[in-house]
Amino acid sequence: MIARTRFSALDHLLVVEGLEQSFGGVMALAGISFRVPPGLVYAVIGPNGAGKTTLFNALCGFYRPSAGSVRFGGGELLGLPPHRIAARGMARTFQNLQLFFNMTVLENVMAGCYLRARSGLLAAALRLPEVRREERQLREWAREALKLCKLANRADQPAGALPYGLMKRVEIARALATQPRLLLLDEPAAGLNDTETMALRDLIDRIRASGVTVLLVEHHMPLVMGVSDRLLVLDYGSVLAEGTPAEIQANQRVVAAYLGGAVQYAV
Amino acid sequence: MRLAGFYVFAVAVVLLPVLFPDNYFVTVVGIAAGLHVILAVGLNLLMGYAGQISLGHGAFFGMGAYASAILTARYAWPAPLAMFVGLAVAGLVAWLLARPILRLRGHYLAMATLGFGIIVHVVMVQATRWTGGPDGLTGIPALDLLGWPVDSDLRWYAVVAAAALLAIWLSLNLIDSRIGRALRAVHGSEFAAQMLGIDTGRAKTQVFVVSALFAAFAGSLFAHQQGFVSPDSFSLMVSVELVTMVVLGGMASTFGAACGAIALTLLHAGLVVFEDYEMLIHGALLMAVMIFMPQGLFGGLSQGARRLWRALRRGGDN
Repeated sequence: MIARTRFSALDHLLVVEGLEQSFGGVMALAGISFRVPPGLVYAVIGPNGAGKTTLFNALCGFYRPSAGSVRFGGGELLGLPPHRIAARGMARTFQNLQLFFNMTVLENVMAGCYLRARSGLLAAALRLPEVRREERQLREWAREALKLCKLANRADQPAGALPYGLMKRVEIARALATQPRLLLLDEPAAGLNDTETMALRDLIDRIRASGVTVLLVEHHMPLVMGVSDRLLVLDYGSVLAEGTPAEIQANQRVVAAYLGGAVQYAV
Repeated sequence: MRLAGFYVFAVAVVLLPVLFPDNYFVTVVGIAAGLHVILAVGLNLLMGYAGQISLGHGAFFGMGAYASAILTARYAWPAPLAMFVGLAVAGLVAWLLARPILRLRGHYLAMATLGFGIIVHVVMVQATRWTGGPDGLTGIPALDLLGWPVDSDLRWYAVVAAAALLAIWLSLNLIDSRIGRALRAVHGSEFAAQMLGIDTGRAKTQVFVVSALFAAFAGSLFAHQQGFVSPDSFSLMVSVELVTMVVLGGMASTFGAACGAIALTLLHAGLVVFEDYEMLIHGALLMAVMIFMPQGLFGGLSQGARRLWRALRRGGDN
């Protein structure tokens, strides 16, 4: 683990510098800088209102930050609309589910394959042979993503008919179907029971093993400390600390501001 | 099987005139129903699947009709060329309109499209030199398909039925494709759709143009079939009826929209005998459907059929 965290600036997948986001005079992000090396699970933690979701929304183009820069795989993301940022290889899930309830589980994930296919409107309407081929391919890719998320047996159910925990997994499968380089998970454990949280930890491990870098916002500390390689602690829109789980847990300022008491989490 | 429903529908459409060649409900009402199917299926792509509303679709219907009417009756253009111009005009107007208008949501989008429909209607009434004003245009020649004149009710039934089946087939293909899933994604969650790389503005523009093309196509056929067009056929009420068809059929289902269109057309034809009470019964029936079958006529009836089937089987067991 230690060896994996030594990277030069050029090697970082995501480099955020001086990112500022204000809403009507309130500084939600007050100049945040951090670097995410590829291949890691990088967690962002902090008390409610610290700016975690704001950070995600700023990274993926939903907000227009007032200052700073976001370099992703060497290119600047700031100013790009979300769909262009997605095309660069960033995918995400949402704190409040944003599933397509008007589709089946498989169709949700096939929608995630949008960028990996080419066929246009006219070809689709006429169902040309290449569209048929492409559909078969998309179906296969979608099933792979579902398998990774252990949802293969739910493929043909309406997305809205699933239990909450599985809906959250469909969002992850859909995001993975885009073949991202960086996956943003916004509180994936919120609302999950202990068994589901354990399964989620396994899933995040498998995602990392498949070569996808994960940026994780989460409140469930045992999960965060267990699964993350590095952590960023936010408080009032600023960086309070950055380091490995062990370093963060030993950091007195973090303990005082957020973790509270002398809690140790198994790693 | 993806197209199973389509084949069943196609067989029914072909069998009807064979079984009842002289029935008024087939050869007269059937043609109107077929045109409504094209309109409703096209509007359903926009409303049911992409989740946007248009209260001005009668305008695109009218553009197709007036383009065919003016160019063939006044300038003696060949019908296919006139139809092509109608499609091009409606498509272009929809494309120009889409970007600014589809930024709006909900009530605002409804108001904007409503305004558009009213403006186009006013042009039809006022631009007398082109459109003939409130009196409309007469003398539109019948279609002639490569030497096969479409000059009888039964032939018109065949042409409109083929066109309606084509519309359904295109819609089914589109919905079950990368583009169709992108449209449904826009409806499901615009933000999530964007994070999958879908340019939602572009997707909405595309579907708006496509549904306008469906409407203009129906309009062009309508003009030739009637031989006469007037602004009354493209009024605000027509736009509202189109929306009613889509909602009645159960949104987000191609066959639902088709059934809604057929049901409403039949209803109008059947209620004519009640004269003064027509609108009253019409309204009451619509309210009843919405209260008792909120998922629409198509969804409600298929669910009812399933329940009946289960009840019958249980009855048989006892």
